[in-house]
Amino acid sequence: MFIYYLDLAWRSIKNTPLLSLLMVLAISIGIGITITTLNIYQMASVNPAGERSSVLYEVRLWSQEADSWDEMNPQITYQDGFNLRQSDIPTRQTPMFMTGMAIQTEDPKQAPLLESARVSDSDFFALFSIPFIYGGPWDKAIDKEPGYQVVIRADLNQELFGGQNSVGKVLYLNQKPYKVAGVIDDWKPSPKYYDVNNGAFNDSERLYVPYSLAPIEEYQSWGNNQSWKNESIVTYQDKLASETHWNQYWVELNTPEQKQAYEQWLEGYIAQQQLLGRFASDSPYADISDVSEWLVINKVVPEDSKVLVGLSALFLIVCLVNMLGLLLAKFLKRAPEVGVRRAIGASRTQIFMQHMVEVGVVGFWGGLIGLIWAAVSLSVLSSRFGLEESLTQLDMSMWIIAPTVAITSALVAGLYPAWQICIANPSSHLKSQ
Amino acid sequence: MFHIKPIISTLLRSKSGPLLLLAQIILSVAIVANASFIINERLALMSRDSGVAEDEVFDINIYNFGAGIDYGLQNSLDMQIIRDIPGVKAATSTSMTPLSGGGWSSTLTYGPSEESHKSAPQAAMYYGDEQMMEAMGVKLIEGRNFYPEEVQVGHPDSATKVILSKAFATHVFGEQSPIGQTLYAGGWGEQALEVIGVVEKLQGAWVNSSHLDNAMILNVELGLWPFTKFLVRADAGAMTELKPLITAALHQENKDRVIDGFRMISEHRQRVYQSHELMASVLSMMVILLLMITSLGLTGMVMFNIERRTKQIGTRRALGAKKRDIVSFFLVENYLIALVGGVIGGLLAVQLGQQLMSLYDLPKLALVYPVVTVAGLFVLTTIAVVFPARKAAKISPAIATRTV
Amino acid sequence: MLSMQNISKVFKTDLVETHALRDFNLEVSEGEFVAVTGPSGSGKTTFLNIAGLLEGVTGGEYHLDGVNIANLSDNASSRIRNEKIGFIFQGFNLIPDLNLAENVEVPLRYRGFNSKERAKRVKEALEQVGLGARMKHLPSQLSGGQQQRVAIARALAGKPRFLLADEPTGNLDSIMARQVMELLEDINKAGTTIIMVTHDPELARRAQRNIQIVDGKVCDFTLYNGGKSQTPLEQVAG
Repeated sequence: MFIYYLDLAWRSIKNTPLLSLLMVLAISIGIGITITTLNIYQMASVNPAGERSSVLYEVRLWSQEADSWDEMNPQITYQDGFNLRQSDIPTRQTPMFMTGMAIQTEDPKQAPLLESARVSDSDFFALFSIPFIYGGPWDKAIDKEPGYQVVIRADLNQELFGGQNSVGKVLYLNQKPYKVAGVIDDWKPSPKYYDVNNGAFNDSERLYVPYSLAPIEEYQSWGNNQSWKNESIVTYQDKLASETHWNQYWVELNTPEQKQAYEQWLEGYIAQQQLLGRFASDSPYADISDVSEWLVINKVVPEDSKVLVGLSALFLIVCLVNMLGLLLAKFLKRAPEVGVRRAIGASRTQIFMQHMVEVGVVGFWGGLIGLIWAAVSLSVLSSRFGLEESLTQLDMSMWIIAPTVAITSALVAGLYPAWQICIANPSSHLKSQ
Repeated sequence: MFHIKPIISTLLRSKSGPLLLLAQIILSVAIVANASFIINERLALMSRDSGVAEDEVFDINIYNFGAGIDYGLQNSLDMQIIRDIPGVKAATSTSMTPLSGGGWSSTLTYGPSEESHKSAPQAAMYYGDEQMMEAMGVKLIEGRNFYPEEVQVGHPDSATKVILSKAFATHVFGEQSPIGQTLYAGGWGEQALEVIGVVEKLQGAWVNSSHLDNAMILNVELGLWPFTKFLVRADAGAMTELKPLITAALHQENKDRVIDGFRMISEHRQRVYQSHELMASVLSMMVILLLMITSLGLTGMVMFNIERRTKQIGTRRALGAKKRDIVSFFLVENYLIALVGGVIGGLLAVQLGQQLMSLYDLPKLALVYPVVTVAGLFVLTTIAVVFPARKAAKISPAIATRTV
Repeated sequence: MLSMQNISKVFKTDLVETHALRDFNLEVSEGEFVAVTGPSGSGKTTFLNIAGLLEGVTGGEYHLDGVNIANLSDNASSRIRNEKIGFIFQGFNLIPDLNLAENVEVPLRYRGFNSKERAKRVKEALEQVGLGARMKHLPSQLSGGQQQRVAIARALAGKPRFLLADEPTGNLDSIMARQVMELLEDINKAGTTIIMVTHDPELARRAQRNIQIVDGKVCDFTLYNGGKSQTPLEQVAG
């Protein structure tokens, strides 16, 4: 019977090409806009940490004096970053910040490359489950005893070493030789959740160097630097000892007990720092948030994209109401034929089903064409507005979401007209021609 | 001449058709009013003047990675190299690029004494030299520029003189002349800065900040870090030719550095306003499509109604209705729907605006938007109705006498 | 096999109550050919709609094949229509988008026959009305008489026990009307019970039995012998 309904639907669509086109167009435009905005929203709101999301925590400290900042800063100071490493409670942990440096290889013809880099401990890679292609992180001992080692990303390895196993080779970073310890896969979480302050949808770094080298090599901060205190900072040492917030700190806590223990440890740390004259406010405290909380705190999803999703949902409703009206008109015009079918023995259910199948077919085409609109508009948006590719890639899930939303909403819009036509008294249309 | 009463009763009797049209109009008005409000707000943001000659100014970044460099000395050297290149009209060392989204800002303090000191609003800090105003193309309206001998080299702490943007000066000193006044970088009394000039207009780097128009120029060529930055002014379009010349000259002096940037301020503007432009474009697209769909829906409904009432129209014509009467019948009918829909839609628009304002960082919907939208709705209704209605008016009165 | 007792049917609007049928009694037995006449608005079509289960009754009892159809669900009455009843209308009511075969196939679709069975019955039915060679034509390509024969084929395809005809020749010229009438008579002879509403006395006379409905009541019925007329009935133009 379903096939028969499909056949009838197709005939009906063919018989009123203009009206059908109008309906498919209306629903496809609605779907196209909704999918476009939904896609941007979804790609921005995705939690890239996956199952690790609930065991990874970002640490924040209320270290400012009274009457200065009235919000917690998303970053911490270098001295806190350095000190927090003393705790042995977290399974893994790392302080970090963003820097950049000039890269040269032993090949003199290679022009120096200016690259952003991440300064962290060796735990960074296991913490964020970053897969290695060659080698591994630098030795844990280097986190305490500085050593010139570096981890690079596969695409940089391709550029510099033609994609070979480069472990053990030498890279010159700001003219200092570093030994390649490992090559990681093309790891590009989006949003870049481990450091959302410096462009949440920017590419992740291609170069990773040990945190212990920072005081020696005086890595410049390439990220945000904020301070509540007026301090004269002339040398790098001044900066390390200052109250400038420019580091991030992540810990892995696998159990609630571990989390509780760590929170207690942080309280103890604050008390200890207060004895040293820091954390001079009424109620300094520490806060740890897991990845999903972290993304919310930092408003990673732009508000504009939420507004757009909302407005486009309303837009879709308008399209559906529009379609509802057209369907009603179309179906009522067909009342005589329905009367014949009823007289011949079609039950209400059968008539209802026949019309719902027709609406579903319109919805299906609307969804499919809407998906094409969405793909086109996303590619226009990414080329015209330089939207990050990670946001304008049509998510695979949309191939299911678009037709589902289209068919479902079309069916909802079709309910009333189909119901109207199937409860109509069949006999009233049999007399007239 | 309009017989509104029978039209109303017709409308009330045929429930679903007009009701659907009504729903569509209500939603459309609510969306269009809010969307066009947001569009206009974004366009207004984007059209603000930065004060800088955006098509003539570009920036250069230099990253010195060689060991043992005196960054201050290197910076002065580079400055001279750039200025000596033919085609460069003016150049300055700078701490930041206007409209770039990144840079320096601070809240200064001022006041006659420590007890009565006040904090100035957040303001962008351009550290540069006597060519900075010329390099950016900003206009001095009061006081004077730095003398070349006043310009310091090295740490920002060595700044002593400051030139303010007019907006910033008015914020801090009101109508009185700021020339000769003192601002303090840091707490009151720490590092006094003497105000020596006011420029008509100069924006900072952060276009979403409410302090965008607050900016100052300080008399220091920074030279502390491996990173240095310059602003260069040349004829519009000359950057393409200058880029290889400048790069080569700088590399010739010292090859251990990476030189990039070379981005016009106009390009910075485009990037920094991209998200607003995106929002405005997507919303405009939405509004246009919505108007299209609504008017198509309206036309479709009218056509359907005409078809359903073919006989009725014929009868009316047979009874002496003029063509004009038929057209005005449909017009009045749809005006009524548009009026009701417009009023409810306008109220809904205000409500939606309130929701958006409370949930998101959007300003309050200006009332003129729903009003204009409803006015536009009537124009749209007229266009969408008149064409099919004129066709209806051509229905022959003879139809009435046909039996079936 | 068709039995109506004290049937009444009232149509209500906000302002008026119309008694289309009142105290309506009728018995029709298997194999009869009944002609129903009556003035315009007397309730003929209402009677036919009720007989064909297109409309319910306000009061009274209606038994078809011993089944009380008063309280049947829509599904059940649709099924009875599909299996036991065939309809023929004045306006033919063919579905214009479907070709002849597809039109005839419609009731078989709802009955759930497989495609082989459907094809067989469609062919039989169309051959029976003499249109076996035109299966792929569209209704608009046929004359009125041919269209009505297709409608008859459609009614016959389900092998119904009842044929309900509402002015089947009303839109046809006299030659075509006669052909259709002969076809109906053949069908009746083959065993199908036919109830035909008409206002053509010529046609009514050819039926075995005449019923006149006036003001929603059966007011007179005359039995004809062998289809030969005895008492002409007064006719009121409809």
